[in-house]
Amino acid sequence: MRYPVYALGVVFIGIGLTGLVRDGIAIGWALSFAAILLAHDLLLAPATLLVGTAVGRWAAPWRAAAIVAGTLVLATLPTVLAIGRRPDNPSILPWNYPPNLAVVLIAVAAVAAALHLKLRNTRVA
Amino acid sequence: MIPRFTSTLRSPQIAAKLGLWLGVSFTVSFATGLFSHFLQHPPIWLTWPSRPVNLYRVTQGLHVIGGIATVPLLLAKLWAVYPKLWQWPPLRSAAHGLERVFVLALVGGALFQLVTGLLNIAYIYPWPFGFLQAHYWTAYLVFGALVIHVVNEWAKVRQSAWTRVDTKERRTFLRTVAAACGLAALVTVGETVRPLAPLAVLAPRDPRVGPQGLPVNRSAAAAGVPYSAGYRLVVTGKVRTPLSLTHADLLRLRQHTIRLPIACVEGWSADGEWTGVRLRDLLALAGVAPDALVTVESLERVGYYRSSEIRPAHWNDPLALLALRLNGQILHLDHGFPVRLIAPGRPGVLQTKWISEVRVS
Repeated sequence: MRYPVYALGVVFIGIGLTGLVRDGIAIGWALSFAAILLAHDLLLAPATLLVGTAVGRWAAPWRAAAIVAGTLVLATLPTVLAIGRRPDNPSILPWNYPPNLAVVLIAVAAVAAALHLKLRNTRVA
Repeated sequence: MIPRFTSTLRSPQIAAKLGLWLGVSFTVSFATGLFSHFLQHPPIWLTWPSRPVNLYRVTQGLHVIGGIATVPLLLAKLWAVYPKLWQWPPLRSAAHGLERVFVLALVGGALFQLVTGLLNIAYIYPWPFGFLQAHYWTAYLVFGALVIHVVNEWAKVRQSAWTRVDTKERRTFLRTVAAACGLAALVTVGETVRPLAPLAVLAPRDPRVGPQGLPVNRSAAAAGVPYSAGYRLVVTGKVRTPLSLTHADLLRLRQHTIRLPIACVEGWSADGEWTGVRLRDLLALAGVAPDALVTVESLERVGYYRSSEIRPAHWNDPLALLALRLNGQILHLDHGFPVRLIAPGRPGVLQTKWISEVRVS
Protein backbone atom coordinates (compact mmCIF):
# COMPACT_ATOMS: atom_id res chain seq x y z
CA MET A 1 0.00 0.00 0.00
CA ARG A 2 2.86 2.35 0.85
CA TYR A 3 4.50 2.41 -2.54
CA PRO A 4 1.50 3.23 -4.74
CA VAL A 5 0.75 6.19 -2.45
CA TYR A 6 4.39 7.32 -2.56
CA ALA A 7 4.15 7.12 -6.34
CA LEU A 8 1.01 9.27 -6.26
CA GLY A 9 2.85 11.87 -4.17
CA VAL A 10 5.80 11.87 -6.57
CA VAL A 11 3.43 12.32 -9.53
CA PHE A 12 1.88 15.42 -7.89
CA ILE A 13 5.33 16.85 -7.15
CA GLY A 14 6.32 16.12 -10.75
CA ILE A 15 3.25 17.96 -12.08
CA GLY A 16 4.09 20.98 -9.95
CA LEU A 17 7.77 21.15 -10.87
CA THR A 18 7.22 20.60 -14.61
CA GLY A 19 4.51 23.25 -14.58
CA LEU A 20 6.93 25.76 -13.03
CA VAL A 21 9.58 24.91 -15.62
CA ARG A 22 7.17 24.99 -18.56
CA ASP A 23 5.83 28.39 -17.51
CA GLY A 24 9.43 29.62 -17.44
CA ILE A 25 9.34 30.79 -13.82
CA ALA A 26 11.41 28.01 -12.22
CA ILE A 27 14.45 30.13 -11.31
CA GLY A 28 12.56 33.05 -9.80
CA TRP A 29 10.33 30.58 -8.02
CA ALA A 30 13.25 28.58 -6.61
CA LEU A 31 14.91 31.75 -5.27
CA SER A 32 11.70 32.91 -3.59
CA PHE A 33 11.05 29.41 -2.23
CA ALA A 34 14.52 29.30 -0.69
CA ALA A 35 14.27 32.85 0.64
CA ILE A 36 10.96 32.17 2.40
CA LEU A 37 12.19 28.86 3.82
CA LEU A 38 15.44 30.37 5.11
CA ALA A 39 13.59 33.38 6.52
CA HIS A 40 11.53 30.99 8.59
CA ASP A 41 14.22 28.50 9.60
CA LEU A 42 17.04 30.95 10.30
CA LEU A 43 15.22 34.13 11.36
CA LEU A 44 11.62 33.66 12.49
CA ALA A 45 12.06 30.32 14.28
CA PRO A 46 15.19 31.33 16.26
CA ALA A 47 13.58 34.69 17.09
CA THR A 48 10.53 32.82 18.37
CA LEU A 49 12.77 30.66 20.57
CA LEU A 50 14.39 33.77 22.02
CA VAL A 51 11.03 35.38 22.72
CA GLY A 52 9.88 32.06 24.15
CA THR A 53 12.65 31.96 26.73
CA ALA A 54 11.48 35.33 28.03
CA VAL A 55 7.74 34.65 27.75
CA GLY A 56 8.14 31.16 29.25
CA ARG A 57 8.40 32.68 32.71
CA TRP A 58 5.05 34.48 32.39
CA ALA A 59 1.78 33.15 33.80
CA ALA A 60 -0.07 30.76 31.49
CA PRO A 61 -2.74 33.21 30.20
CA TRP A 62 -0.08 35.75 29.21
CA ARG A 63 1.97 33.08 27.44
CA ALA A 64 -1.15 32.12 25.49
CA ALA A 65 -1.85 35.78 24.70
CA ALA A 66 1.69 36.16 23.35
CA ILE A 67 1.18 33.19 21.00
CA VAL A 68 -2.19 34.49 19.81
CA ALA A 69 -0.93 38.06 19.33
CA GLY A 70 2.31 37.05 17.59
CA THR A 71 0.69 34.69 15.10
CA LEU A 72 -2.20 37.08 14.44
CA VAL A 73 0.22 39.89 13.61
CA LEU A 74 2.08 37.65 11.17
CA ALA A 75 -1.16 36.41 9.56
CA THR A 76 -2.42 39.95 8.90
CA LEU A 77 0.83 41.89 8.46
CA PRO A 78 0.57 42.47 4.66
CA THR A 79 -2.88 43.98 5.19
CA VAL A 80 -1.89 46.02 8.25
CA LEU A 81 1.11 47.52 6.43
CA ALA A 82 -1.23 48.34 3.52
CA ILE A 83 1.62 49.03 1.11
CA GLY A 84 -0.55 47.59 -1.68
CA ARG A 85 -2.85 50.65 -1.74
CA ARG A 86 -3.54 52.22 -5.14
CA PRO A 87 -4.69 55.74 -5.83
CA ASP A 88 -7.16 54.63 -8.52
CA ASN A 89 -9.06 52.20 -6.28
CA PRO A 90 -9.92 53.27 -2.71
CA SER A 91 -11.94 50.08 -2.10
CA ILE A 92 -8.64 48.18 -1.79
CA LEU A 93 -7.40 48.17 1.84
CA PRO A 94 -10.02 50.72 2.91
CA TRP A 95 -9.23 51.01 6.62
CA ASN A 96 -6.56 52.54 8.79
CA TYR A 97 -5.29 49.16 9.98
CA PRO A 98 -2.73 49.88 12.75
CA PRO A 99 -5.38 51.23 15.17
CA ASN A 100 -7.61 48.27 14.31
CA LEU A 101 -4.78 45.89 15.11
CA ALA A 102 -4.17 47.73 18.38
CA VAL A 103 -7.82 47.30 19.37
CA VAL A 104 -7.70 43.55 18.62
CA LEU A 105 -4.46 43.16 20.60
CA ILE A 106 -5.93 45.08 23.54
CA ALA A 107 -8.92 42.73 23.44
CA VAL A 108 -6.55 39.74 23.52
CA ALA A 109 -4.73 41.28 26.49
CA ALA A 110 -8.05 41.90 28.25
CA VAL A 111 -9.03 38.24 27.86
CA ALA A 112 -5.62 37.19 29.20
CA ALA A 113 -5.99 39.52 32.19
CA ALA A 114 -9.46 38.15 32.95
CA LEU A 115 -8.21 34.56 32.74
CA HIS A 116 -5.25 35.45 34.94
CA LEU A 117 -7.52 36.95 37.61
CA LYS A 118 -9.85 33.96 37.48
CA LEU A 119 -6.91 31.58 37.78
CA ARG A 120 -5.51 33.44 40.78
CA ASN A 121 -8.89 33.57 42.51
CA THR A 122 -9.48 29.83 42.09
CA ARG A 123 -6.01 29.16 43.42
CA VAL A 124 -6.64 31.37 46.45
CA ALA A 125 -9.99 29.70 47.04
CA MET B 1 27.59 22.04 18.87
CA ILE B 2 24.13 20.54 19.19
CA PRO B 3 21.53 23.04 20.34
CA ARG B 4 19.24 22.03 23.18
CA PHE B 5 15.53 22.47 22.93
CA THR B 6 14.03 22.47 26.37
CA SER B 7 10.33 23.27 26.01
CA THR B 8 8.15 20.62 27.61
CA LEU B 9 5.29 21.62 25.30
CA ARG B 10 6.84 19.71 22.40
CA SER B 11 5.90 16.06 22.01
CA PRO B 12 5.26 13.64 19.15
CA GLN B 13 1.58 13.75 20.06
CA ILE B 14 1.42 17.55 19.79
CA ALA B 15 3.17 17.37 16.41
CA ALA B 16 0.74 14.65 15.27
CA LYS B 17 -2.36 16.60 16.32
CA LEU B 18 -1.20 19.82 14.69
CA GLY B 19 -0.19 17.80 11.64
CA LEU B 20 -3.62 16.26 11.36
CA TRP B 21 -5.32 19.67 11.45
CA LEU B 22 -2.86 21.01 8.89
CA GLY B 23 -3.46 18.02 6.64
CA VAL B 24 -7.18 18.80 6.67
CA SER B 25 -6.60 22.52 6.07
CA PHE B 26 -4.18 22.07 3.17
CA THR B 27 -6.43 19.45 1.55
CA VAL B 28 -9.39 21.85 1.70
CA SER B 29 -7.22 24.62 0.24
CA PHE B 30 -6.00 22.36 -2.54
CA ALA B 31 -9.53 21.22 -3.43
CA THR B 32 -11.05 24.73 -3.37
CA GLY B 33 -8.04 26.11 -5.23
CA LEU B 34 -8.35 23.55 -8.00
CA PHE B 35 -12.09 24.25 -8.18
CA SER B 36 -11.39 27.94 -8.64
CA HIS B 37 -8.69 27.26 -11.22
CA PHE B 38 -10.91 25.04 -13.35
CA LEU B 39 -13.79 27.50 -13.21
CA GLN B 40 -11.46 30.12 -14.63
CA HIS B 41 -9.71 27.89 -17.14
CA PRO B 42 -12.26 25.22 -17.98
CA PRO B 43 -11.14 22.45 -20.31
CA ILE B 44 -13.65 22.16 -23.15
CA TRP B 45 -15.11 18.87 -21.84
CA LEU B 46 -15.80 20.35 -18.43
CA THR B 47 -19.26 21.79 -17.94
CA TRP B 48 -20.37 23.01 -14.59
CA PRO B 49 -23.81 24.21 -13.48
CA SER B 50 -24.61 27.88 -12.92
CA ARG B 51 -26.24 27.13 -9.57
CA PRO B 52 -26.08 27.32 -6.59
CA VAL B 53 -25.34 31.01 -7.01
CA ASN B 54 -23.29 31.20 -3.80
CA LEU B 55 -21.11 28.16 -4.45
CA TYR B 56 -18.01 30.05 -5.55
CA ARG B 57 -18.15 32.62 -2.76
CA VAL B 58 -18.25 29.74 -0.26
CA THR B 59 -15.42 27.70 -1.78
CA GLN B 60 -13.22 30.74 -2.33
CA GLY B 61 -14.03 32.12 1.12
CA LEU B 62 -12.91 28.78 2.58
CA HIS B 63 -9.74 28.96 0.50
CA VAL B 64 -8.71 32.46 1.52
CA ILE B 65 -10.05 32.80 5.06
CA GLY B 66 -9.00 29.20 5.74
CA GLY B 67 -5.53 30.10 4.49
CA ILE B 68 -5.30 33.11 6.82
CA ALA B 69 -6.45 30.96 9.75
CA THR B 70 -3.82 28.34 8.89
CA VAL B 71 -0.93 30.73 9.59
CA PRO B 72 -0.92 30.17 13.39
CA LEU B 73 -1.39 26.46 12.85
CA LEU B 74 1.55 26.08 10.46
CA LEU B 75 3.81 28.21 12.66
CA ALA B 76 2.89 26.15 15.74
CA LYS B 77 3.56 22.90 13.90
CA LEU B 78 6.93 24.09 12.61
CA TRP B 79 7.83 25.26 16.12
CA ALA B 80 6.86 21.86 17.51
CA VAL B 81 9.12 19.96 15.09
CA TYR B 82 11.88 22.57 14.79
CA PRO B 83 14.45 20.48 16.74
CA LYS B 84 14.23 17.87 13.98
CA LEU B 85 15.76 20.38 11.57
CA TRP B 86 18.96 20.18 13.60
CA GLN B 87 18.94 16.42 14.24
CA TRP B 88 22.33 14.76 14.42
CA PRO B 89 23.59 13.14 12.26
CA PRO B 90 21.66 15.07 9.62
CA LEU B 91 21.60 12.08 7.27
CA ARG B 92 21.47 8.52 8.52
CA SER B 93 20.87 6.76 5.21
CA ALA B 94 19.80 7.38 1.64
CA ALA B 95 16.18 6.71 2.59
CA HIS B 96 16.42 9.17 5.48
CA GLY B 97 17.93 11.74 3.13
CA LEU B 98 15.08 11.27 0.68
CA GLU B 99 12.53 11.61 3.46
CA ARG B 100 14.13 14.89 4.50
CA VAL B 101 14.03 16.19 0.93
CA PHE B 102 10.27 15.58 0.84
CA VAL B 103 9.87 17.28 4.24
CA LEU B 104 11.81 20.25 2.86
CA ALA B 105 9.42 20.40 -0.11
CA LEU B 106 6.45 20.24 2.25
CA VAL B 107 7.68 22.87 4.71
CA GLY B 108 9.01 25.23 2.06
CA GLY B 109 5.95 24.76 -0.12
CA ALA B 110 3.49 25.28 2.74
CA LEU B 111 5.27 28.50 3.78
CA PHE B 112 5.44 29.61 0.15
CA GLN B 113 1.68 29.14 -0.34
CA LEU B 114 0.74 31.06 2.79
CA VAL B 115 3.21 33.90 2.20
CA THR B 116 2.31 34.38 -1.48
CA GLY B 117 -1.42 34.04 -0.74
CA LEU B 118 -1.33 36.60 2.09
CA LEU B 119 0.69 39.07 0.02
CA ASN B 120 -1.53 38.61 -3.02
CA ILE B 121 -4.77 39.48 -1.20
CA ALA B 122 -3.01 42.59 0.12
CA TYR B 123 -1.88 43.59 -3.41
CA ILE B 124 1.84 43.22 -2.74
CA TYR B 125 3.84 41.42 -5.42
CA PRO B 126 7.54 41.35 -4.48
CA TRP B 127 8.39 38.40 -6.73
CA PRO B 128 9.66 37.89 -10.27
CA PHE B 129 6.81 35.63 -11.44
CA GLY B 130 3.05 35.65 -11.94
CA PHE B 131 1.30 34.89 -8.65
CA LEU B 132 -1.24 32.70 -10.38
CA GLN B 133 1.19 30.25 -11.97
CA ALA B 134 3.49 30.03 -8.95
CA HIS B 135 0.67 29.53 -6.42
CA TYR B 136 -1.04 26.99 -8.70
CA TRP B 137 1.98 24.79 -9.44
CA THR B 138 3.30 24.96 -5.90
CA ALA B 139 -0.06 23.59 -4.73
CA TYR B 140 0.69 20.33 -6.56
CA LEU B 141 4.16 20.21 -5.02
CA VAL B 142 2.78 20.74 -1.51
CA PHE B 143 0.00 18.23 -1.93
CA GLY B 144 2.36 15.57 -3.30
CA ALA B 145 4.81 16.13 -0.44
CA LEU B 146 1.87 16.05 1.99
CA VAL B 147 0.70 12.67 0.69
CA ILE B 148 4.21 11.24 1.14
CA HIS B 149 4.54 12.77 4.60
CA VAL B 150 1.17 11.33 5.67
CA VAL B 151 2.27 7.84 4.61
CA ASN B 152 5.51 8.20 6.58
CA GLU B 153 3.86 9.56 9.70
CA TRP B 154 0.58 7.67 9.64
CA ALA B 155 1.64 5.20 12.35
CA LYS B 156 2.37 8.08 14.76
CA VAL B 157 -0.85 9.87 13.86
CA ARG B 158 -2.90 6.73 14.44
CA GLN B 159 -1.20 6.16 17.75
CA SER B 160 -1.63 9.58 19.23
CA ALA B 161 -4.00 11.80 17.30
CA TRP B 162 -7.22 10.34 18.68
CA THR B 163 -6.11 10.03 22.28
CA ARG B 164 -6.31 12.76 24.90
CA VAL B 165 -3.23 14.96 25.08
CA ASP B 166 -1.12 13.84 28.04
CA THR B 167 -0.46 17.02 30.04
CA LYS B 168 -2.62 19.99 30.95
CA GLU B 169 0.10 22.34 29.74
CA ARG B 170 0.06 20.77 26.27
CA ARG B 171 -3.74 20.76 26.11
CA THR B 172 -3.67 24.49 26.85
CA PHE B 173 -1.10 24.96 24.10
CA LEU B 174 -3.33 23.26 21.52
CA ARG B 175 -6.33 25.29 22.65
CA THR B 176 -4.25 28.45 22.34
CA VAL B 177 -3.28 27.59 18.77
CA ALA B 178 -6.94 26.88 17.96
CA ALA B 179 -7.91 30.23 19.49
CA ALA B 180 -5.29 32.02 17.37
CA CYS B 181 -6.62 30.36 14.20
CA GLY B 182 -10.16 31.26 15.19
CA LEU B 183 -9.27 34.90 15.91
CA ALA B 184 -7.43 35.26 12.58
CA ALA B 185 -10.58 34.00 10.84
CA LEU B 186 -12.89 36.15 12.95
CA VAL B 187 -11.19 39.45 12.09
CA THR B 188 -11.18 38.71 8.34
CA VAL B 189 -14.20 36.53 7.47
CA GLY B 190 -16.50 39.57 7.39
CA GLU B 191 -15.04 40.48 4.00
CA THR B 192 -17.22 37.72 2.58
CA VAL B 193 -19.83 37.04 5.30
CA ARG B 194 -21.78 40.31 5.32
CA PRO B 195 -23.26 40.12 8.86
CA LEU B 196 -19.71 39.88 10.24
CA ALA B 197 -18.43 42.83 8.18
CA PRO B 198 -18.10 45.11 11.27
CA LEU B 199 -15.64 42.57 12.73
CA ALA B 200 -13.49 42.42 9.59
CA VAL B 201 -11.11 45.02 10.97
CA LEU B 202 -8.00 43.34 9.56
CA ALA B 203 -9.41 42.21 6.19
CA PRO B 204 -8.13 43.78 2.95
CA ARG B 205 -11.72 44.46 1.86
CA ASP B 206 -15.03 45.53 3.29
CA PRO B 207 -18.05 44.29 1.30
CA ARG B 208 -19.80 47.62 1.99
CA VAL B 209 -17.01 49.90 0.74
CA GLY B 210 -16.68 50.95 -2.89
CA PRO B 211 -18.49 52.97 -5.52
CA GLN B 212 -22.27 52.36 -5.24
CA GLY B 213 -21.63 50.30 -2.09
CA LEU B 214 -19.61 47.54 -3.74
CA PRO B 215 -15.84 46.92 -3.83
CA VAL B 216 -13.95 47.11 -7.12
CA ASN B 217 -11.16 44.77 -8.17
CA ARG B 218 -9.90 46.50 -11.31
CA SER B 219 -10.75 50.16 -11.80
CA ALA B 220 -11.42 51.73 -15.18
CA ALA B 221 -8.21 53.73 -14.80
CA ALA B 222 -6.17 50.57 -14.13
CA ALA B 223 -7.81 48.82 -17.07
CA GLY B 224 -7.20 51.82 -19.33
CA VAL B 225 -10.78 51.90 -20.53
CA PRO B 226 -11.53 54.96 -22.63
CA TYR B 227 -14.94 56.51 -22.20
CA SER B 228 -16.54 56.98 -25.57
CA ALA B 229 -19.74 58.82 -26.38
CA GLY B 230 -20.10 56.77 -29.54
CA TYR B 231 -20.40 53.53 -27.57
CA ARG B 232 -22.19 50.58 -29.16
CA LEU B 233 -22.69 47.00 -28.06
CA VAL B 234 -22.45 44.63 -31.02
CA VAL B 235 -23.71 41.07 -31.18
CA THR B 236 -21.81 39.20 -33.89
CA GLY B 237 -20.76 35.76 -35.08
CA LYS B 238 -23.18 32.91 -35.62
CA VAL B 239 -26.32 35.02 -35.40
CA ARG B 240 -29.34 35.42 -37.68
CA THR B 241 -29.50 39.17 -37.11
CA PRO B 242 -26.33 41.00 -36.06
CA LEU B 243 -27.12 43.73 -33.53
CA SER B 244 -25.55 47.08 -32.82
CA LEU B 245 -27.08 48.85 -29.83
CA THR B 246 -26.46 52.14 -28.07
CA HIS B 247 -26.66 52.49 -24.30
CA ALA B 248 -30.12 54.07 -24.74
CA ASP B 249 -31.22 51.14 -26.93
CA LEU B 250 -30.19 48.71 -24.20
CA LEU B 251 -32.11 50.68 -21.56
CA ARG B 252 -35.25 50.43 -23.76
CA LEU B 253 -35.09 46.60 -23.83
CA ARG B 254 -36.99 44.68 -21.14
CA GLN B 255 -35.17 45.16 -17.82
CA HIS B 256 -34.85 42.63 -14.99
CA THR B 257 -33.62 43.20 -11.46
CA ILE B 258 -31.79 40.44 -9.58
CA ARG B 259 -29.52 39.99 -6.55
CA LEU B 260 -26.20 38.31 -7.23
CA PRO B 261 -22.79 38.44 -5.55
CA ILE B 262 -19.48 39.47 -6.98
CA ALA B 263 -17.31 36.70 -5.55
CA CYS B 264 -13.64 37.56 -5.97
CA VAL B 265 -10.84 35.05 -6.30
CA GLU B 266 -9.16 37.03 -3.50
CA GLY B 267 -11.78 35.75 -1.06
CA TRP B 268 -14.08 38.77 -0.58
CA SER B 269 -17.61 38.80 -1.87
CA ALA B 270 -20.49 41.25 -1.87
CA ASP B 271 -24.10 41.19 -3.02
CA GLY B 272 -25.43 43.76 -5.43
CA GLU B 273 -28.83 44.50 -6.88
CA TRP B 274 -28.31 44.47 -10.62
CA THR B 275 -30.70 45.69 -13.31
CA GLY B 276 -30.29 44.99 -17.00
CA VAL B 277 -31.10 42.85 -19.99
CA ARG B 278 -31.21 39.08 -19.76
CA LEU B 279 -28.40 37.69 -21.86
CA ARG B 280 -30.69 35.01 -23.27
CA ASP B 281 -33.28 37.65 -24.30
CA LEU B 282 -30.62 39.59 -26.19
CA LEU B 283 -29.31 36.43 -27.85
CA ALA B 284 -32.87 35.41 -28.81
CA LEU B 285 -33.25 38.83 -30.42
CA ALA B 286 -30.17 38.13 -32.51
CA GLY B 287 -31.35 34.60 -33.31
CA VAL B 288 -28.84 32.34 -31.59
CA ALA B 289 -28.95 28.53 -31.25
CA PRO B 290 -29.55 27.50 -27.60
CA ASP B 291 -26.32 25.46 -27.47
CA ALA B 292 -24.07 28.21 -28.84
CA LEU B 293 -20.85 29.25 -27.15
CA VAL B 294 -20.81 32.93 -26.26
CA THR B 295 -17.80 35.17 -25.66
CA VAL B 296 -18.01 38.67 -24.24
CA GLU B 297 -15.27 41.14 -25.09
CA SER B 298 -14.36 44.17 -23.04
CA LEU B 299 -13.27 47.64 -24.09
CA GLU B 300 -10.06 46.86 -22.15
CA ARG B 301 -7.22 46.70 -24.66
CA VAL B 302 -4.94 44.45 -22.64
CA GLY B 303 -5.32 42.22 -19.63
CA TYR B 304 -5.75 38.61 -18.79
CA TYR B 305 -9.48 38.92 -18.25
CA ARG B 306 -10.50 41.25 -21.09
CA SER B 307 -12.81 38.61 -22.49
CA SER B 308 -14.63 35.64 -21.07
CA GLU B 309 -16.47 32.65 -22.34
CA ILE B 310 -20.04 31.84 -21.35
CA ARG B 311 -21.19 28.25 -21.78
CA PRO B 312 -24.83 27.46 -22.71
CA ALA B 313 -25.84 26.40 -19.19
CA HIS B 314 -24.73 29.85 -18.01
CA TRP B 315 -26.07 32.23 -20.62
CA ASN B 316 -29.42 30.41 -20.64
CA ASP B 317 -29.75 31.00 -16.89
CA PRO B 318 -32.41 33.68 -16.29
CA LEU B 319 -30.10 35.30 -13.73
CA ALA B 320 -27.42 35.99 -16.37
CA LEU B 321 -27.69 39.70 -17.17
CA LEU B 322 -25.96 42.35 -19.16
CA ALA B 323 -26.22 44.78 -16.27
CA LEU B 324 -26.80 48.49 -16.81
CA ARG B 325 -27.58 49.51 -13.23
CA LEU B 326 -26.24 48.65 -9.80
CA ASN B 327 -28.26 49.27 -6.63
CA GLY B 328 -30.67 51.47 -8.59
CA GLN B 329 -28.08 53.73 -10.23
CA ILE B 330 -26.52 53.68 -13.69
CA LEU B 331 -23.34 51.57 -13.37
CA HIS B 332 -20.29 53.41 -12.05
CA LEU B 333 -17.44 53.46 -14.57
CA ASP B 334 -15.38 51.29 -12.19
CA HIS B 335 -18.19 48.72 -12.11
CA GLY B 336 -18.16 48.43 -15.90
CA PHE B 337 -20.24 51.29 -17.36
CA PRO B 338 -21.88 51.12 -19.84
CA VAL B 339 -22.49 47.35 -19.65
CA ARG B 340 -21.11 44.49 -17.62
CA LEU B 341 -21.83 40.82 -17.29
CA ILE B 342 -23.32 39.54 -14.05
CA ALA B 343 -24.16 35.83 -13.97
CA PRO B 344 -24.49 33.19 -11.26
CA GLY B 345 -21.71 30.75 -10.36
CA ARG B 346 -18.82 32.70 -11.86
CA PRO B 347 -15.64 33.98 -10.23
CA GLY B 348 -15.58 37.81 -10.17
CA VAL B 349 -12.82 38.02 -12.77
CA LEU B 350 -15.18 36.37 -15.26
CA GLN B 351 -17.94 38.94 -14.67
CA THR B 352 -16.54 40.92 -17.57
CA LYS B 353 -16.86 44.73 -17.38
CA TRP B 354 -17.09 47.41 -20.10
CA ILE B 355 -18.53 44.94 -22.63
CA SER B 356 -18.39 46.10 -26.26
CA GLU B 357 -19.02 42.84 -28.08
CA VAL B 358 -20.98 39.64 -27.62
CA ARG B 359 -19.57 37.07 -30.02
CA VAL B 360 -21.39 33.83 -30.80
CA SER B 361 -19.60 30.73 -32.07
